[in-house]
Amino acid sequence: MTSAHAEHVNGELPHEPEKATLEGRNKTLGFWLFLGGEAVLFGTLFATFLALRNSNNDGPTAAELFSLPITAIATAILLVSSLTSVFAIQAMHRHNLQSLKTWLIVTVVLGLGFLGLEIYEFYEYVVHESFGLTTSAFSSAFYTLVGFHGAHVAFGVVWISLLIAQLYRKGLTVVTAPKVYVSAMYWHFIDVVWVFIFSVVYLLGKVG
Amino acid sequence: MAGNEQQPQNQAVKHRHRTEGPQKHVVVFILSIVLTAIAFAAVAAGDVNPVFTIILLLVMAVIQVFVQMGYWMHLKDKGHLMPIIFMIGGFFVASTAIVMAIYWVWW
Repeated sequence: MTSAHAEHVNGELPHEPEKATLEGRNKTLGFWLFLGGEAVLFGTLFATFLALRNSNNDGPTAAELFSLPITAIATAILLVSSLTSVFAIQAMHRHNLQSLKTWLIVTVVLGLGFLGLEIYEFYEYVVHESFGLTTSAFSSAFYTLVGFHGAHVAFGVVWISLLIAQLYRKGLTVVTAPKVYVSAMYWHFIDVVWVFIFSVVYLLGKVG
Repeated sequence: MAGNEQQPQNQAVKHRHRTEGPQKHVVVFILSIVLTAIAFAAVAAGDVNPVFTIILLLVMAVIQVFVQMGYWMHLKDKGHLMPIIFMIGGFFVASTAIVMAIYWVWW
């Protein structure tokens, strides 16, 4: 770390600017603690869903509702957006601000695409399938779990958009770099949670 | 901290930090796509034994999560002991909740 410090004193950005300051490193460590808590939050929502997923109260069942193509498209969008945020961090390590901003914008656009698809899906369920929040224990558990994930995507979209604005104003420094790094970790975590959602909620729902 | 000391240090740093290429992450991405496709195909095929399909789905999901957290979230890199402890703690509490909820409702 002394070498990174020396670089910074010379007015040059270190190779991994998110790790150059103690504050940046602590931010990453603290964020991991938060992600551990998020794992517990989603774990309890998954527990509720798994316990109640067959309690459909004469309403629609999972096998009747879910569509594999829509789930596949949503999965592809989120997976690609996770890759684009990897590219953003690699651009940050090359100190290529323009490329960093471009990849973050692509990530945000893909996040919006995912949200649009989810809103369309929920709209179809509520309006055409009479599958509302209070239809059954299954519907409540489904909307709470998948909706919480969608809310996380929405929060990530707003957060990364604000970071892009800050990058335009302040550029890449040892202060802005940890923020970008941590937001990319958050975005990967959202993708990891979605892996469990498409497996346990949608695909398992189709199996029965 | 004299000026002539910093010069060689900086050059050493530049040589040591070769920027990693995208190849590794593209491989993780393709692996994720393949694991996802296997899970979707098993469900789309329909008449596979349900117990086998469920186990397959869970195994594909766990492998994909391990690979993504290892490479994309850098958990396999040096200096990530505390993050790994945080995540194992989180997953431990989460899996306890899942096992208990299923146990109480189904048996």
